[in-house]
Amino acid sequence: MEHWSFVALAYGIVWSVIVVYFFFLKRRYRKAQMELSALTSAQTLEEHEQT
Amino acid sequence: MSLGAIVVGLYWGLVIAPPDAYQGEVQRIMYLHLPSILTAYLSYFLVFIGSCMYLWKREKRDDILAHSAAEIGVLFTALTIIEGSIWGRPTWGVWWTWDARLTLTAILLLIYTGYLMLRSLIEDENRAASAAAVLGIIGFLDIPLIHMSVYWWRTLHQPPSILQPNKAPWENIAWPLLIPLLINIVAFLLLLFYLLSLRYRLGEIRDEIRMRRLEQSA
Repeated sequence: MEHWSFVALAYGIVWSVIVVYFFFLKRRYRKAQMELSALTSAQTLEEHEQT
Repeated sequence: MSLGAIVVGLYWGLVIAPPDAYQGEVQRIMYLHLPSILTAYLSYFLVFIGSCMYLWKREKRDDILAHSAAEIGVLFTALTIIEGSIWGRPTWGVWWTWDARLTLTAILLLIYTGYLMLRSLIEDENRAASAAAVLGIIGFLDIPLIHMSVYWWRTLHQPPSILQPNKAPWENIAWPLLIPLLINIVAFLLLLFYLLSLRYRLGEIRDEIRMRRLEQSA
């Protein structure tokens, strides 16, 4: 059982960081998508009002 | 596919693979350490390619590629240093030492953290992209230095265990240890491409938002 604590620490940190980054990236992606669709619909509305 | 490879890699590395004759269980950290640094190197290679292409053709997609790859490269370089530090404590007796390879890897992390900071500090998007591209190319020159550092200087970090001149990888490392290493390398590379595709799409959307805002204000 020698040094299993170091192995657990390394694997725990690495996979926690990767999972956190993945969800952080997903959140940023979703937020950007929402912002783009809001901008697109606002522009479409503006164009529609002009015509 | 990436998730499947990660699960297999974890199981093989932690359960099936035998402990190393000299290092014992702590050697299992190498199944993370080597794949992490290879993933970081490949990311920086993509930063290098994207930066060169951007300076040459001035196409936004190349800048988005370089920016996306730099972010992922920084993540995996930081993880490599953390894993190395955790492995170093029971093996070398220290968490950190100013060894040539370790120091150059820390410099690599600083260069590309600077790359990301530079982009957020310069307001003009095109100027930020050009300045970052120059730094992205210069920063890449650190990688051959890191690789050769174990030959050029007397370092605590051991020379390459697998890729040695005039020797096949399986001549340097036993198959039961090589297989989980290869599986984890593949898993990390698949993870890189998955994260990169997601980060690249985010960059594209952000660029589209920026263009639409410019159109609105014009």
